[in-house]
Amino acid sequence: MKNNQTPPKRKETLAQVLNRPKVAGYVFILPFIIGFLAFLAIPMILSLGFSFTRYNILKTPVFIGLENYRTMFTGDPKFWKVFGVTMYYVLFSVPLRLIMALAVAMLLVKSSKLSGFYRAVYYLPSIIGSSVAVAILWKRMFASDGVVNALMKVVGLPGDIAWLGRTDTAIWTLIILAIWQFGSSMLIFLSGLKQISVSLYEAATVDGANGIQRFFKITLPMLTPTIFFNLINQLINGFMAFTQSYIITQGKPRDTTLFYTVYMYQNSFTYNKLGYGCAMAWFMVFVVGLLTLILFKTQKKWVHYEAEG
Amino acid sequence: MKKRLLATTLAALLAVTSLAACGAKTDKTDTQTTGASSAAETTKAAAGTSASTGGKVTLNLSWWGNQTRNDVTKKAVDLYMSQNPDVDIKVEFTDWSGYWDKLSAMAAGGNLPDIVQMDYSYLNQYQKSGQLADLSEFISTGTIDTTKISESIIESGSIDGKCYAISLGSNAPMMLYDKAIVEKAGVTIPDQMTMDQLYDISKTIYEKTGTKALYDGGINMMQIMARANGSHLFDELTTGKEDSMKIYFNTMEKFAKADFSISADLLAEKNPDVVETKPIIDSSTWNDFLLSNQYISVSKTAGRDLGITMFPTITDSKSQPIYLKPSMFFSVAESSKNKEAAAKFLDWFVNSTEANDILLAERGIPVNSAVADAIKPKADEISQHVFDYVAKVSEVATPIDAPDPSGKGEVEALGKTVVEAVRYGDATADAAIGQFVPEAKKILEEAAK
Repeated sequence: MKNNQTPPKRKETLAQVLNRPKVAGYVFILPFIIGFLAFLAIPMILSLGFSFTRYNILKTPVFIGLENYRTMFTGDPKFWKVFGVTMYYVLFSVPLRLIMALAVAMLLVKSSKLSGFYRAVYYLPSIIGSSVAVAILWKRMFASDGVVNALMKVVGLPGDIAWLGRTDTAIWTLIILAIWQFGSSMLIFLSGLKQISVSLYEAATVDGANGIQRFFKITLPMLTPTIFFNLINQLINGFMAFTQSYIITQGKPRDTTLFYTVYMYQNSFTYNKLGYGCAMAWFMVFVVGLLTLILFKTQKKWVHYEAEG
Repeated sequence: MKKRLLATTLAALLAVTSLAACGAKTDKTDTQTTGASSAAETTKAAAGTSASTGGKVTLNLSWWGNQTRNDVTKKAVDLYMSQNPDVDIKVEFTDWSGYWDKLSAMAAGGNLPDIVQMDYSYLNQYQKSGQLADLSEFISTGTIDTTKISESIIESGSIDGKCYAISLGSNAPMMLYDKAIVEKAGVTIPDQMTMDQLYDISKTIYEKTGTKALYDGGINMMQIMARANGSHLFDELTTGKEDSMKIYFNTMEKFAKADFSISADLLAEKNPDVVETKPIIDSSTWNDFLLSNQYISVSKTAGRDLGITMFPTITDSKSQPIYLKPSMFFSVAESSKNKEAAAKFLDWFVNSTEANDILLAERGIPVNSAVADAIKPKADEISQHVFDYVAKVSEVATPIDAPDPSGKGEVEALGKTVVEAVRYGDATADAAIGQFVPEAKKILEEAAK
């Protein structure tokens, strides 16, 4: 490395400086670094700082130590309620979405003339799924005079259920929306499925294994790294869900669909308690981090990497 | 390298925080000095030169509203721009609740739009934190002409003798009813009913027509009840008094248990907070509660002529709860670089007949008496109802509550949560009072810090 250094006294042009091997790398990653600092690192550090303050968004922050965290854990029953709601949502939406994604991927893995078209079609909901337009569509579909009730009436079921207004059904409309957005996991499953060697299936078939056996003895174990990756990804996504709750239900009824992120947003911008909102954000970082860590620890028990035999 | 990177990051961080601190400080000094007329003159001169040399002035204008308001306001803005080619106005609008979330974030970032629609309930908070420009200087120089605007309107937007907001019109709370359904049931709606009368009428209407009734569970109803009880909502809540809330939640429970009330789950779905989805629009209920300026939009969305009666009061009320609310304030941001141009636009918006010909009292009856007289005959039948109602209310109205304290937003949200618990039958009135009053007191104490 020392040989590359130019003599210290000589003046260099800017171009020469930028071209130095030591510098050039940094220049190339500079756009990312700037973006990362401006939109992620600095705001994160600031928010950690704000979480120890009473920060009415219109006034200057006042340092109050751990007060926000104390209120959060002991003085705000709604906090635990929304935490529970979010956990419930993640607990059901993530596994169901992955099962759906895997099922569709299994169907689409067999190549036919139209498989490219189908893949695009099934991926579509994931692109538009978290948009405001779909949220409003969902709201209309599950309205008491919406299409879901109309269809139920056709098949002879009670067609006057206020899906979004009942405390026991409202959260499920959001979970169904989440399941519908299985596209990105599906694509990853697809590529995972394609990597499983055909010879394994051939050998199994020769040994007389039926379809179900092949799925559980070959496909699933071989797919565990992909499942693991999807699980972590979707888990984090699930905790970050916002639009559905904010637009479709506004947390109603009885706060049964009030997601953690929405409550955090309300605290920060509606009630102007930005300090408290930041504290909530950092607790979420902790929880997601912890869950991810636990999943990584359990990896050895169930994730099968081929290279390890 | 790692160390150097860390050092740079920290230095940058320090710079950012110190910048933010500086910004906050200058803001404060600004508000303190703007009172002096000499300072005002310099600002004005500076604004004048920059406008003449810099060419086009760009103003940002934001408001909350419904579709009708968005359409007419955009039309008026376009007219202003065609008359003043050197002014470019960028508009932004959202619904009520989203508006305040957005505005507070903008204010924190120091990017408040030049002209903001302001509400009586938020005026205090925004002025106290130095976000709003003092308009008194523009009034005294005549940039904003107030000769035809009543003194009380200017006062309603003033704090400590300085005007921070100009109201575009007056509003009053009202109850709407579906004329056809009421007629079919054969009941007559009195000018102002008591809650007991509302209960009986709702029962009759449900028995005769099967249409359900709505009982408002919002903060407006709380305020009205407290006023009818001879007190004020936030006076009671800050001291932890339960008197008016007892009446409120007991009435709430009585209506919630009645067969004729719209079911809690359907109500949650309909969301009466949004003008376009109010349950009266598709006849889910025969009545609804709103502020008079929302009447035009609700009528248009419903596509039929809806009857108006005064917001109900309680039996044996101690005072008339109905009030006139100076509404739809417009303020200029303290951070605006073109205050003069913004003030000029406000002057036009408030005082010009051609602007109000387009707006047609959608934000309330114009405050400029000459303009109000000029546009009244032009207003369509629906707007006429609003004119008449506000005129009727102004004969009996009692003075409005003092501007809401900080923390109002959270108290309102708490109220909705507790009311929902009663509606779904998960809490009794007593439990609701026991939860709402102390928690509201705590919120207000916290917010006052």
